Amino acid sequence: MTKDFAVPPVVFPSGGSSGGANVQQRRFPATPFQPPRPSSSAIPFMSFDIGSAAASSATPAGPFGGTIASSSSFGGGSASFEDEEPLLDELGIHPDQIWKKTRSILNPFRINQAVHKDSDLSGPIFLYLALCLFQLLAGKIQFGVILGWIVVSSIFLYVVFNMLAGRNGNLNLHTCTSLVGYCLLPVVVLSAVSLFVPQGAGPVRFVLAALFVLWSTRACSTLVVSLADGGEEHRGLIAYACFLIYTLFSLLVIF
Amino acid sequence: MYNNMGPRPGMAMPQANPQPSPFGNPFSGPGSGLIRSGLGAYGEKIFGSSSEYVQSNISRYFSDPQYYFQVNDQYVRNKLKIVLLPFLHRGHWTRISEPVGGRLSYKPPIYDINAPDLYIPLMAFGTYVVLAGLSLGLYGKFTPEALNWLFVKGMVGWFLQVMLLKITLLSLGSGEAPLLDIVAYAGYTFTGLCLAVLGKIIWGYSYYVLIPWTCLCTGVFLVKTMKRVLFAESRSYDSSRHHYLLIFVALAQFPLLIWLGNISVNWLF
Repeated sequence: MTKDFAVPPVVFPSGGSSGGANVQQRRFPATPFQPPRPSSSAIPFMSFDIGSAAASSATPAGPFGGTIASSSSFGGGSASFEDEEPLLDELGIHPDQIWKKTRSILNPFRINQAVHKDSDLSGPIFLYLALCLFQLLAGKIQFGVILGWIVVSSIFLYVVFNMLAGRNGNLNLHTCTSLVGYCLLPVVVLSAVSLFVPQGAGPVRFVLAALFVLWSTRACSTLVVSLADGGEEHRGLIAYACFLIYTLFSLLVIF
Repeated sequence: MYNNMGPRPGMAMPQANPQPSPFGNPFSGPGSGLIRSGLGAYGEKIFGSSSEYVQSNISRYFSDPQYYFQVNDQYVRNKLKIVLLPFLHRGHWTRISEPVGGRLSYKPPIYDINAPDLYIPLMAFGTYVVLAGLSLGLYGKFTPEALNWLFVKGMVGWFLQVMLLKITLLSLGSGEAPLLDIVAYAGYTFTGLCLAVLGKIIWGYSYYVLIPWTCLCTGVFLVKTMKRVLFAESRSYDSSRHHYLLIFVALAQFPLLIWLGNISVNWLF
Protein backbone atom coordinates (compact mmCIF):
# COMPACT_ATOMS: atom_id res chain seq x y z
CA MET A 1 0.00 0.00 0.00
CA THR A 2 2.85 2.33 0.87
CA LYS A 3 4.52 1.33 -2.40
CA ASP A 4 1.34 2.20 -4.29
CA PHE A 5 1.36 5.66 -2.75
CA ALA A 6 5.00 6.19 -3.77
CA VAL A 7 4.26 5.47 -7.47
CA PRO A 8 1.64 8.21 -8.03
CA PRO A 9 3.97 11.02 -6.91
CA VAL A 10 6.47 9.89 -9.58
CA VAL A 11 3.69 9.97 -12.21
CA PHE A 12 2.70 13.49 -11.35
CA PRO A 13 6.13 15.09 -12.12
CA SER A 14 6.34 13.03 -15.34
CA GLY A 15 3.00 14.45 -16.50
CA GLY A 16 4.43 17.90 -16.12
CA SER A 17 7.65 17.09 -18.05
CA SER A 18 8.15 16.43 -21.80
CA GLY A 19 6.95 13.34 -23.81
CA GLY A 20 10.43 11.79 -23.93
CA ALA A 21 10.59 12.03 -20.23
CA ASN A 22 7.20 10.35 -20.19
CA VAL A 23 8.57 7.37 -22.15
CA GLN A 24 11.55 7.03 -19.81
CA GLN A 25 9.31 7.26 -16.80
CA ARG A 26 7.07 4.56 -18.30
CA ARG A 27 10.12 2.24 -18.61
CA PHE A 28 11.00 2.87 -15.01
CA PRO A 29 7.73 1.43 -13.71
CA ALA A 30 8.39 -1.76 -15.78
CA THR A 31 11.66 -2.46 -13.94
CA PRO A 32 10.08 -2.46 -10.45
CA PHE A 33 7.75 -5.26 -11.63
CA GLN A 34 10.70 -7.51 -12.65
CA PRO A 35 12.57 -7.55 -9.31
CA PRO A 36 9.78 -9.32 -7.41
CA ARG A 37 9.66 -12.15 -10.05
CA PRO A 38 13.35 -13.02 -9.77
CA SER A 39 13.04 -12.82 -6.04
CA SER A 40 10.09 -15.20 -6.15
CA SER A 41 12.00 -17.51 -8.56
CA ALA A 42 15.07 -17.23 -6.33
CA ILE A 43 13.11 -18.85 -3.55
CA PRO A 44 12.57 -22.19 -5.46
CA PHE A 45 16.22 -22.06 -6.56
CA MET A 46 17.17 -21.74 -2.96
CA SER A 47 14.91 -24.66 -2.20
CA PHE A 48 16.72 -26.61 -4.95
CA ASP A 49 19.98 -25.62 -3.38
CA ILE A 50 18.68 -26.88 -0.09
CA GLY A 51 17.68 -30.17 -1.75
CA SER A 52 21.02 -30.56 -3.50
CA ALA A 53 22.76 -29.68 -0.29
CA ALA A 54 20.80 -32.43 1.42
CA ALA A 55 21.78 -34.84 -1.37
CA SER A 56 25.40 -33.77 -1.14
CA SER A 57 25.26 -34.20 2.60
CA ALA A 58 23.79 -37.68 2.05
CA THR A 59 26.46 -38.55 -0.51
CA PRO A 60 29.42 -38.02 1.85
CA ALA A 61 27.62 -40.23 4.35
CA GLY A 62 28.58 -43.19 2.14
CA PRO A 63 32.30 -42.44 2.15
CA PHE A 64 32.06 -41.62 5.82
CA GLY A 65 30.50 -45.01 6.44
CA GLY A 66 33.14 -46.63 4.22
CA THR A 67 35.84 -44.87 6.11
CA ILE A 68 34.36 -46.13 9.35
CA ALA A 69 34.20 -49.65 7.92
CA SER A 70 37.78 -49.49 6.69
CA SER A 71 38.94 -48.12 10.01
CA SER A 72 37.09 -50.92 11.77
CA SER A 73 38.74 -53.45 9.46
CA PHE A 74 42.11 -51.91 10.22
CA GLY A 75 41.32 -52.19 13.88
CA GLY A 76 40.20 -55.79 13.43
CA GLY A 77 43.41 -56.65 11.58
CA SER A 78 45.56 -55.09 14.20
CA ALA A 79 43.51 -56.75 16.91
CA SER A 80 44.03 -60.29 15.47
CA PHE A 81 47.71 -59.87 14.60
CA GLU A 82 48.79 -62.51 17.11
CA ASP A 83 46.37 -65.06 15.59
CA GLU A 84 47.61 -64.75 12.00
CA GLU A 85 48.82 -67.86 10.16
CA PRO A 86 52.55 -68.36 9.54
CA LEU A 87 53.90 -66.99 6.29
CA LEU A 88 54.64 -70.44 4.85
CA ASP A 89 51.06 -71.59 5.45
CA GLU A 90 49.70 -68.51 3.73
CA LEU A 91 51.98 -69.16 0.75
CA GLY A 92 50.80 -72.77 0.60
CA ILE A 93 54.19 -74.27 1.47
CA HIS A 94 54.08 -77.06 4.06
CA PRO A 95 57.63 -78.13 4.96
CA ASP A 96 56.53 -81.13 7.03
CA GLN A 97 54.43 -82.45 4.15
CA ILE A 98 57.29 -81.91 1.71
CA TRP A 99 59.63 -83.81 4.03
CA LYS A 100 57.18 -86.71 4.36
CA LYS A 101 56.80 -86.99 0.60
CA THR A 102 60.53 -86.75 0.00
CA ARG A 103 61.23 -89.42 2.61
CA SER A 104 58.65 -91.73 1.04
CA ILE A 105 60.40 -91.42 -2.33
CA LEU A 106 63.78 -92.06 -0.69
CA ASN A 107 62.72 -95.62 0.15
CA PRO A 108 62.93 -97.39 -3.23
CA PHE A 109 61.25 -100.62 -2.10
CA ARG A 110 58.16 -99.41 -0.25
CA ILE A 111 56.52 -96.16 -1.31
CA ASN A 112 53.93 -94.59 0.96
CA GLN A 113 51.15 -93.63 -1.43
CA ALA A 114 48.77 -92.03 1.08
CA VAL A 115 51.09 -89.12 1.78
CA HIS A 116 51.02 -88.09 -1.90
CA LYS A 117 47.25 -87.69 -2.15
CA ASP A 118 47.52 -83.94 -1.64
CA SER A 119 49.51 -82.62 -4.57
CA ASP A 120 51.67 -79.53 -4.24
CA LEU A 121 54.25 -77.83 -6.42
CA SER A 122 56.58 -76.29 -3.84
CA GLY A 123 58.43 -79.57 -3.22
CA PRO A 124 59.01 -80.16 -6.94
CA ILE A 125 60.23 -76.59 -7.37
CA PHE A 126 62.73 -77.16 -4.58
CA LEU A 127 63.91 -80.34 -6.34
CA TYR A 128 64.20 -78.52 -9.68
CA LEU A 129 66.36 -75.86 -8.10
CA ALA A 130 68.50 -78.53 -6.41
CA LEU A 131 69.02 -80.28 -9.75
CA CYS A 132 69.89 -76.98 -11.44
CA LEU A 133 72.36 -76.25 -8.62
CA PHE A 134 74.12 -79.61 -8.94
CA GLN A 135 74.29 -79.23 -12.69
CA LEU A 136 75.75 -75.77 -12.13
CA LEU A 137 78.38 -77.28 -9.83
CA ALA A 138 79.19 -79.72 -12.64
CA GLY A 139 79.76 -76.77 -14.97
CA LYS A 140 76.49 -76.90 -16.90
CA ILE A 141 74.01 -74.03 -17.00
CA GLN A 142 70.70 -75.76 -17.70
CA PHE A 143 68.03 -73.83 -15.78
CA GLY A 144 65.77 -73.17 -18.76
CA VAL A 145 66.26 -76.62 -20.23
CA ILE A 146 65.33 -78.43 -17.01
CA LEU A 147 62.24 -76.33 -16.36
CA GLY A 148 61.12 -76.59 -19.98
CA TRP A 149 61.57 -80.34 -20.07
CA ILE A 150 59.67 -80.68 -16.80
CA VAL A 151 56.66 -78.97 -18.35
CA VAL A 152 56.81 -81.05 -21.53
CA SER A 153 57.27 -84.28 -19.55
CA SER A 154 54.32 -83.57 -17.27
CA ILE A 155 52.05 -82.80 -20.21
CA PHE A 156 53.30 -85.93 -22.00
CA LEU A 157 52.55 -88.22 -19.05
CA TYR A 158 49.21 -86.48 -18.47
CA VAL A 159 48.15 -87.10 -22.09
CA VAL A 160 49.39 -90.70 -22.16
CA PHE A 161 47.73 -91.65 -18.89
CA ASN A 162 44.35 -90.10 -19.60
CA MET A 163 44.29 -91.55 -23.11
CA LEU A 164 45.14 -95.05 -21.87
CA ALA A 165 42.71 -94.87 -18.95
CA GLY A 166 39.84 -93.83 -21.21
CA ARG A 167 36.66 -92.43 -19.68
CA ASN A 168 37.78 -93.43 -16.19
CA GLY A 169 40.94 -91.34 -16.28
CA ASN A 170 40.87 -88.66 -13.60
CA LEU A 171 44.54 -87.67 -13.37
CA ASN A 172 44.71 -83.89 -13.39
CA LEU A 173 47.71 -81.91 -14.55
CA HIS A 174 48.50 -80.54 -11.08
CA THR A 175 48.79 -84.01 -9.56
CA CYS A 176 50.76 -85.24 -12.56
CA THR A 177 53.26 -82.38 -12.32
CA SER A 178 53.59 -82.93 -8.58
CA LEU A 179 54.30 -86.65 -8.95
CA VAL A 180 56.75 -86.21 -11.83
CA GLY A 181 58.55 -83.55 -9.80
CA TYR A 182 58.79 -85.54 -6.58
CA CYS A 183 59.96 -88.67 -8.39
CA LEU A 184 62.78 -86.61 -9.88
CA LEU A 185 64.49 -86.96 -6.49
CA PRO A 186 66.57 -90.02 -7.52
CA VAL A 187 67.82 -88.06 -10.53
CA VAL A 188 68.80 -85.22 -8.19
CA VAL A 189 70.68 -87.72 -6.04
CA LEU A 190 72.33 -89.08 -9.20
CA SER A 191 73.38 -85.56 -10.09
CA ALA A 192 74.95 -85.07 -6.67
CA VAL A 193 76.72 -88.44 -6.77
CA SER A 194 78.02 -87.80 -10.28
CA LEU A 195 79.95 -84.82 -8.98
CA PHE A 196 82.35 -87.28 -7.32
CA VAL A 197 82.60 -89.79 -10.18
CA PRO A 198 85.40 -89.00 -12.63
CA GLN A 199 84.41 -88.24 -16.21
CA GLY A 200 86.48 -91.05 -17.68
CA ALA A 201 84.55 -93.82 -15.91
CA GLY A 202 81.87 -94.29 -18.56
CA PRO A 203 80.46 -97.70 -17.59
CA VAL A 204 80.25 -96.74 -13.91
CA ARG A 205 78.24 -93.65 -14.75
CA PHE A 206 75.93 -95.64 -17.01
CA VAL A 207 75.29 -98.31 -14.38
CA LEU A 208 74.62 -95.67 -11.74
CA ALA A 209 72.29 -93.81 -14.07
CA ALA A 210 70.43 -97.01 -14.95
CA LEU A 211 69.85 -97.81 -11.28
CA PHE A 212 68.57 -94.35 -10.42
CA VAL A 213 66.36 -94.19 -13.52
CA LEU A 214 64.75 -97.53 -12.66
CA TRP A 215 64.20 -96.22 -9.13
CA SER A 216 62.49 -93.08 -10.44
CA THR A 217 60.43 -95.06 -12.93
CA ARG A 218 59.18 -97.50 -10.32
CA ALA A 219 58.28 -94.72 -7.90
CA CYS A 220 56.47 -92.60 -10.48
CA SER A 221 54.53 -95.43 -12.12
CA THR A 222 53.50 -96.84 -8.73
CA LEU A 223 52.26 -93.47 -7.50
CA VAL A 224 50.47 -92.52 -10.71
CA VAL A 225 48.66 -95.86 -10.97
CA SER A 226 47.66 -95.86 -7.30
CA LEU A 227 46.52 -92.24 -7.05
CA ALA A 228 44.48 -92.01 -10.26
CA ASP A 229 41.74 -94.34 -11.47
CA GLY A 230 41.80 -96.49 -14.56
CA GLY A 231 45.53 -97.08 -14.78
CA GLU A 232 45.92 -100.46 -13.11
CA GLU A 233 45.64 -102.56 -16.27
CA HIS A 234 48.04 -100.26 -18.14
CA ARG A 235 50.77 -100.21 -15.52
CA GLY A 236 53.48 -101.47 -17.86
CA LEU A 237 52.61 -99.00 -20.59
CA ILE A 238 52.59 -96.09 -18.13
CA ALA A 239 55.86 -97.29 -16.62
CA TYR A 240 57.49 -97.13 -20.05
CA ALA A 241 56.41 -93.51 -20.45
CA CYS A 242 57.90 -92.70 -17.03
CA PHE A 243 61.07 -94.55 -18.03
CA LEU A 244 61.46 -92.33 -21.09
CA ILE A 245 61.00 -89.18 -19.02
CA TYR A 246 63.61 -90.01 -16.38
CA THR A 247 66.06 -91.40 -18.94
CA LEU A 248 65.90 -88.05 -20.68
CA PHE A 249 66.77 -86.23 -17.47
CA SER A 250 69.55 -88.67 -16.68
CA LEU A 251 71.09 -87.86 -20.07
CA LEU A 252 71.45 -84.30 -18.83
CA VAL A 253 73.37 -85.59 -15.82
CA ILE A 254 75.56 -88.14 -17.59
CA PHE A 255 76.72 -86.05 -20.55
CA MET B 1 20.48 -2.50 -10.92
CA TYR B 2 22.02 -4.23 -7.89
CA ASN B 3 18.82 -6.12 -7.30
CA ASN B 4 18.85 -7.29 -10.92
CA MET B 5 22.51 -8.38 -10.78
CA GLY B 6 22.14 -10.20 -7.46
CA PRO B 7 19.55 -12.85 -8.42
CA ARG B 8 21.18 -13.66 -11.79
CA PRO B 9 24.40 -15.24 -10.37
CA GLY B 10 22.22 -16.88 -7.76
CA MET B 11 20.12 -18.39 -10.53
CA ALA B 12 23.20 -19.62 -12.42
CA MET B 13 24.99 -21.23 -9.49
CA PRO B 14 22.07 -23.36 -8.22
CA GLN B 15 21.41 -24.57 -11.76
CA ALA B 16 25.04 -25.64 -12.22
CA ASN B 17 25.44 -27.33 -8.84
CA PRO B 18 22.52 -29.78 -8.70
CA GLN B 19 22.63 -30.91 -12.34
CA PRO B 20 25.89 -32.97 -12.40
CA SER B 21 25.39 -34.89 -9.17
CA PRO B 22 21.90 -36.34 -9.80
CA PHE B 23 22.82 -37.11 -13.42
CA GLY B 24 26.14 -38.77 -12.54
CA ASN B 25 25.00 -41.00 -9.71
CA PRO B 26 22.22 -43.01 -11.39
CA PHE B 27 24.22 -43.39 -14.62
CA SER B 28 27.36 -44.70 -12.95
CA GLY B 29 25.64 -47.24 -10.70
CA PRO B 30 22.98 -48.96 -12.82
CA GLY B 31 24.89 -48.28 -16.03
CA SER B 32 27.91 -50.34 -14.97
CA GLY B 33 25.64 -53.17 -13.87
CA LEU B 34 23.80 -53.15 -17.17
CA ILE B 35 27.06 -53.08 -19.13
CA ARG B 36 28.53 -55.93 -17.12
CA SER B 37 25.47 -58.13 -17.44
CA GLY B 38 25.26 -57.43 -21.16
CA LEU B 39 28.90 -58.29 -21.76
CA GLY B 40 28.56 -61.41 -19.64
CA ALA B 41 25.61 -62.71 -21.62
CA TYR B 42 27.24 -61.88 -24.93
CA GLY B 43 30.51 -63.49 -23.84
CA GLU B 44 28.74 -66.66 -22.78
CA LYS B 45 26.98 -66.76 -26.11
CA ILE B 46 30.26 -66.33 -27.99
CA PHE B 47 32.07 -68.94 -25.90
CA GLY B 48 29.24 -71.42 -26.19
CA SER B 49 28.97 -71.11 -29.94
CA SER B 50 32.74 -71.22 -30.41
CA SER B 51 33.13 -74.34 -28.28
CA GLU B 52 30.36 -76.07 -30.20
CA TYR B 53 31.96 -74.99 -33.48
CA VAL B 54 35.35 -76.32 -32.38
CA GLN B 55 33.78 -79.59 -31.27
CA SER B 56 32.01 -80.05 -34.59
CA ASN B 57 35.20 -79.25 -36.48
CA ILE B 58 37.24 -81.64 -34.36
CA SER B 59 34.73 -84.43 -34.87
CA ARG B 60 34.77 -83.76 -38.59
CA TYR B 61 38.53 -83.73 -39.15
CA PHE B 62 39.73 -86.05 -36.42
CA SER B 63 38.27 -89.31 -35.30
CA ASP B 64 38.12 -89.97 -31.58
CA PRO B 65 41.71 -90.02 -30.24
CA GLN B 66 40.49 -92.32 -27.46
CA TYR B 67 39.99 -95.09 -30.02
CA TYR B 68 43.72 -95.22 -30.79
CA PHE B 69 44.73 -95.69 -27.15
CA GLN B 70 42.56 -98.73 -26.33
CA VAL B 71 45.56 -101.03 -26.05
CA ASN B 72 47.02 -103.51 -23.61
CA ASP B 73 50.37 -105.25 -23.15
CA GLN B 74 49.45 -108.15 -25.39
CA TYR B 75 48.45 -105.93 -28.29
CA VAL B 76 51.63 -103.87 -27.97
CA ARG B 77 53.82 -106.97 -27.99
CA ASN B 78 52.08 -108.51 -30.98
CA LYS B 79 51.98 -105.26 -32.92
CA LEU B 80 55.69 -104.75 -32.39
CA LYS B 81 56.31 -108.20 -33.83
CA ILE B 82 54.26 -107.36 -36.91
CA VAL B 83 55.94 -104.01 -37.44
CA LEU B 84 59.48 -105.28 -36.93
CA LEU B 85 59.04 -108.63 -38.73
CA PRO B 86 56.23 -108.24 -41.25
CA PHE B 87 57.32 -111.34 -43.16
CA LEU B 88 56.39 -113.60 -40.27
CA HIS B 89 52.81 -112.31 -40.03
CA ARG B 90 50.88 -115.36 -41.21
CA GLY B 91 47.43 -113.90 -40.59
CA HIS B 92 45.55 -111.50 -42.81
CA TRP B 93 46.05 -107.73 -42.91
CA THR B 94 42.37 -106.79 -43.02
CA ARG B 95 40.84 -104.84 -40.16
CA ILE B 96 37.83 -106.27 -38.37
CA SER B 97 34.75 -104.13 -38.93
CA GLU B 98 31.52 -104.00 -36.96
CA PRO B 99 28.23 -102.23 -37.78
CA VAL B 100 27.51 -99.52 -35.21
CA GLY B 101 24.32 -97.53 -35.56
CA GLY B 102 24.03 -98.24 -39.25
CA ARG B 103 27.52 -96.91 -39.89
CA LEU B 104 30.47 -99.17 -40.62
CA SER B 105 33.31 -98.80 -38.13
CA TYR B 106 36.30 -100.83 -37.04
CA LYS B 107 37.05 -102.63 -33.83
CA PRO B 108 39.47 -100.90 -31.43
CA PRO B 109 43.11 -102.03 -31.30
CA ILE B 110 42.56 -104.12 -28.17
CA TYR B 111 40.39 -106.50 -30.21
CA ASP B 112 42.08 -106.28 -33.61
CA ILE B 113 45.81 -106.71 -34.18
CA ASN B 114 45.58 -104.94 -37.54
CA ALA B 115 44.00 -101.77 -36.16
CA PRO B 116 46.33 -98.77 -35.87
CA ASP B 117 47.08 -97.24 -32.49
CA LEU B 118 48.86 -94.10 -31.33
CA TYR B 119 50.54 -95.47 -28.22
CA ILE B 120 53.29 -97.35 -30.07
CA PRO B 121 54.08 -94.42 -32.43
CA LEU B 122 54.22 -92.01 -29.49
CA MET B 123 56.47 -94.25 -27.41
CA ALA B 124 58.62 -95.08 -30.43
CA PHE B 125 59.10 -91.38 -31.12
CA GLY B 126 60.06 -90.76 -27.48
CA THR B 127 62.45 -93.70 -27.58
CA TYR B 128 63.99 -92.31 -30.76
CA VAL B 129 64.64 -88.97 -29.05
CA VAL B 130 66.17 -90.65 -25.99
CA LEU B 131 68.35 -92.97 -28.08
CA ALA B 132 69.43 -90.02 -30.21
CA GLY B 133 70.51 -88.21 -27.06
CA LEU B 134 72.36 -91.29 -25.88
CA SER B 135 74.10 -91.60 -29.24
CA LEU B 136 75.10 -87.94 -29.21
CA GLY B 137 76.45 -88.32 -25.70
CA LEU B 138 78.56 -91.34 -26.57
CA TYR B 139 80.15 -89.40 -29.42
CA GLY B 140 80.76 -86.42 -27.15
CA LYS B 141 78.35 -84.07 -28.92
CA PHE B 142 75.49 -84.01 -26.42
CA THR B 143 73.92 -80.64 -25.65
CA PRO B 144 70.29 -79.91 -24.77
CA GLU B 145 70.07 -77.72 -27.87
CA ALA B 146 71.20 -80.62 -30.06
CA LEU B 147 68.58 -82.86 -28.48
CA ASN B 148 65.88 -80.26 -29.06
CA TRP B 149 67.06 -80.06 -32.66
CA LEU B 150 66.77 -83.83 -33.07
CA PHE B 151 63.27 -83.65 -31.60
CA VAL B 152 62.35 -81.17 -34.33
CA LYS B 153 64.04 -83.37 -36.93
CA GLY B 154 61.95 -86.33 -35.79
CA MET B 155 58.78 -84.25 -35.99
CA VAL B 156 59.69 -83.14 -39.52
CA GLY B 157 60.36 -86.75 -40.49
CA TRP B 158 57.02 -87.86 -39.08
CA PHE B 159 55.31 -85.04 -40.96
CA LEU B 160 57.04 -85.98 -44.22
CA GLN B 161 55.95 -89.59 -43.79
CA VAL B 162 52.34 -88.50 -43.17
CA MET B 163 52.43 -86.30 -46.27
CA LEU B 164 53.87 -89.15 -48.33
CA LEU B 165 51.13 -91.56 -47.31
CA LYS B 166 48.40 -88.94 -47.62
CA ILE B 167 49.44 -87.90 -51.11
CA THR B 168 49.69 -91.54 -52.18
CA LEU B 169 46.18 -92.28 -50.96
CA LEU B 170 44.79 -89.12 -52.53
CA SER B 171 46.42 -89.81 -55.87
CA LEU B 172 44.97 -93.32 -55.85
CA GLY B 173 41.47 -91.96 -55.38
CA SER B 174 41.11 -92.83 -51.72
CA GLY B 175 40.90 -89.76 -49.55
CA GLU B 176 38.53 -91.08 -46.92
CA ALA B 177 41.04 -92.57 -44.49
CA PRO B 178 41.02 -90.62 -41.20
CA LEU B 179 44.03 -88.42 -40.60
CA LEU B 180 44.87 -90.09 -37.30
CA ASP B 181 45.03 -93.44 -39.10
CA ILE B 182 47.69 -92.00 -41.41
CA VAL B 183 49.53 -90.47 -38.45
CA ALA B 184 49.57 -93.85 -36.72
CA TYR B 185 50.80 -95.72 -39.78
CA ALA B 186 53.53 -93.12 -40.31
CA GLY B 187 54.54 -93.30 -36.66
CA TYR B 188 55.30 -97.00 -36.83
CA THR B 189 58.36 -96.02 -38.85
CA PHE B 190 60.11 -94.97 -35.65
CA THR B 191 59.86 -98.48 -34.24
CA GLY B 192 62.37 -99.94 -36.65
CA LEU B 193 64.39 -96.74 -36.56
CA CYS B 194 64.85 -97.14 -32.80
CA LEU B 195 66.15 -100.65 -33.36
CA ALA B 196 68.69 -99.38 -35.90
CA VAL B 197 69.86 -96.54 -33.66
CA LEU B 198 70.13 -98.93 -30.71
CA GLY B 199 72.29 -101.24 -32.82
CA LYS B 200 74.44 -98.27 -33.75
CA ILE B 201 74.94 -97.49 -30.06
CA ILE B 202 75.86 -101.05 -29.13
CA TRP B 203 78.06 -101.82 -32.14
CA GLY B 204 78.69 -99.21 -34.81
CA TYR B 205 78.97 -101.56 -37.77
CA SER B 206 75.65 -103.26 -37.09
CA TYR B 207 74.00 -100.00 -38.15
CA TYR B 208 74.88 -100.69 -41.80
CA VAL B 209 73.09 -104.03 -41.58
CA LEU B 210 70.14 -102.86 -39.50
CA ILE B 211 69.23 -99.70 -41.39
CA PRO B 212 68.60 -101.44 -44.77
CA TRP B 213 66.74 -104.19 -42.96
CA THR B 214 64.65 -101.60 -41.13
CA CYS B 215 63.86 -99.78 -44.36
CA LEU B 216 62.83 -103.05 -45.98
CA CYS B 217 60.58 -104.10 -43.09
CA THR B 218 58.98 -100.69 -42.85
CA GLY B 219 58.41 -100.65 -46.59
CA VAL B 220 56.79 -104.08 -46.55
CA PHE B 221 54.61 -103.18 -43.58
CA LEU B 222 53.44 -99.95 -45.19
CA VAL B 223 52.78 -101.61 -48.55
CA LYS B 224 50.64 -104.32 -47.01
CA THR B 225 48.79 -101.87 -44.81
CA MET B 226 48.20 -99.34 -47.56
CA LYS B 227 47.00 -102.09 -49.85
CA ARG B 228 44.32 -103.00 -47.32
CA VAL B 229 43.41 -99.35 -46.82
CA LEU B 230 43.08 -98.86 -50.55
CA PHE B 231 41.04 -102.00 -50.98
CA ALA B 232 38.71 -100.94 -48.18
CA GLU B 233 38.38 -97.30 -49.20
CA SER B 234 38.92 -97.15 -52.94
CA ARG B 235 35.99 -97.56 -55.32
CA SER B 236 38.04 -98.38 -58.40
CA TYR B 237 40.97 -100.76 -58.27
CA ASP B 238 43.65 -100.02 -60.85
CA SER B 239 46.18 -102.71 -60.03
CA SER B 240 49.14 -101.53 -62.12
CA ARG B 241 48.96 -97.93 -60.92
CA HIS B 242 48.44 -99.07 -57.35
CA HIS B 243 51.46 -101.35 -57.49
CA TYR B 244 53.73 -98.64 -58.89
CA LEU B 245 52.72 -96.12 -56.24
CA LEU B 246 53.01 -98.65 -53.44
CA ILE B 247 56.49 -99.58 -54.64
CA PHE B 248 57.31 -95.87 -54.64
CA VAL B 249 56.18 -95.65 -51.01
CA ALA B 250 58.40 -98.60 -50.09
CA LEU B 251 61.40 -97.13 -51.91
CA ALA B 252 60.86 -93.71 -50.31
CA GLN B 253 61.47 -95.29 -46.91
CA PHE B 254 65.19 -95.68 -47.65
CA PRO B 255 66.18 -91.99 -47.93
CA LEU B 256 63.79 -90.96 -45.17
CA LEU B 257 65.00 -93.51 -42.65
CA ILE B 258 68.65 -92.96 -43.55
CA TRP B 259 68.13 -89.24 -43.00
CA LEU B 260 66.42 -89.80 -39.66
CA GLY B 261 68.91 -92.47 -38.60
CA ASN B 262 71.89 -90.17 -39.08
CA ILE B 263 72.07 -88.65 -35.61
CA SER B 264 73.67 -85.28 -36.16
CA VAL B 265 72.77 -81.63 -35.89
CA ASN B 266 73.40 -81.08 -39.59
CA TRP B 267 70.18 -80.33 -41.40
CA LEU B 268 70.92 -81.90 -44.75
CA PHE B 269 72.09 -85.26 -43.46
